Amino acid sequence: MIHDERESQLSAMFDGELPATECELLSRRIDRDDNLRARWSRYALIGAAMRSEPVATARSGFARRVSAALRGGDTRLRASRGRKMVLNAAVSASLVVAVAGLSITLLRYTAASGGVANGGIGVAASGVGAGAGAGAPAAVGSESVASTTVGSTVGRSALTNSVVASDTTPRRGSNGEPVSYVTPASASTGNTALRTELADFIVAHSQYSSPLMRRNLLSALISSEDGSDIAPPRAAVTASPSVSAAGALHATFAASAPGQ
Amino acid sequence: MVADASDLSLVRRVQRGERGAYDLLVLKYQHKVVKLVLRYLRNPADAEDVAQEAFVKAYRALPQFRGDSAFYTWLYRIAINTAKNALAARERNPVSYELDVHGSDDSTDMVGRLKDPETPEGLALTEEIRDTVNHAIGELPEDLRTAIVLRELEGMSYEEIAASMDCPVGTVRSRIFRAREAIDRRLREVFDGGLGRTEELV
Repeated sequence: MIHDERESQLSAMFDGELPATECELLSRRIDRDDNLRARWSRYALIGAAMRSEPVATARSGFARRVSAALRGGDTRLRASRGRKMVLNAAVSASLVVAVAGLSITLLRYTAASGGVANGGIGVAASGVGAGAGAGAPAAVGSESVASTTVGSTVGRSALTNSVVASDTTPRRGSNGEPVSYVTPASASTGNTALRTELADFIVAHSQYSSPLMRRNLLSALISSEDGSDIAPPRAAVTASPSVSAAGALHATFAASAPGQ
Repeated sequence: MVADASDLSLVRRVQRGERGAYDLLVLKYQHKVVKLVLRYLRNPADAEDVAQEAFVKAYRALPQFRGDSAFYTWLYRIAINTAKNALAARERNPVSYELDVHGSDDSTDMVGRLKDPETPEGLALTEEIRDTVNHAIGELPEDLRTAIVLRELEGMSYEEIAASMDCPVGTVRSRIFRAREAIDRRLREVFDGGLGRTEELV
């Protein structure tokens, strides 16, 4: 009797006429009961045969295969999502490495050619890190102008070393052969001066510099405006002959920005 | 349409996370979808694969199904598109198709031929099922036959049938169930007792 009642429910559920609460209970039972599933399938077959619709076209176990494909698909979906995350991370990492490599190559190339370009500024900036690091203790240790000059000089020598080291690297063509066998000319005074000014500029604006040191450096930068002891950098001359050293640096950055 | 309401109830349950309800939809429409796909892909084994793919696609797209159209209409479109894509892929890669056709497993091909409604075996099976069902309906008492015909052929709801037959809804439910049971019993007698192929029907 209970058996009949369940099958009567199944028939009503097939027609969409079973209350939702009963539907829920019965569908749980169908999940576990192959006989009920088979009966449901035959109900569909009876209706299709009555309406002259296709019957017995799919092989037996078709629904089970679809169900298995769905389970497998879910797994694949999760796996592919995981793979996508790993792939994204790998792409990001390789992009960073590629950009870094390109930047280093460009900086070396620019430094070797001695031009005042983005790379030149970049080399100078990296040299400033070393120079400022070497010069700062001396400047902090003594508050005199002389010691500031020493600090500045240390920074300058570090920069010069950096540039010279870069200049000794020969430029090479795509086939690995050097472009020119002529010994490259040493860095021009103007370029060195520009990098020295950059070092001074950054040290002058550094939060780790003492107020007195900053003031002295700024004074030195302003006094160099007349170009009496430091030749003006080529880029600054090209941009504006009357621009200050600090202004020249800003102009160089501004000029290099669109090319980046 | 009442059939749509029945499907919609199952669809809503699937959307609530009951994947078992989707199995019932697959059981309900598997033959129709395979037959539909067979119109595009003449090979029954390929048609089953594509039909399976269509059901998987439909399941994944089901959260977006709002019920504006009948479930089968929606499933029909997915199946047609999947079949067309499979056909286009086959045309782009005819070599692999030829290999598939000639290299297919004999046993699978045999089952495919058996179930292809256009082969003599397939036609015979289809006719056998229809004859059995129609014969069983003819033997039903008048009230049961009327109830099942109004439901399956006219698509009327239990309430509409009750109004038409001037009886309570509970009686309609009972009559339809008893009609189905009688037809099902006849099918099992023919296919289990006579041919032993009931499992082929599900």
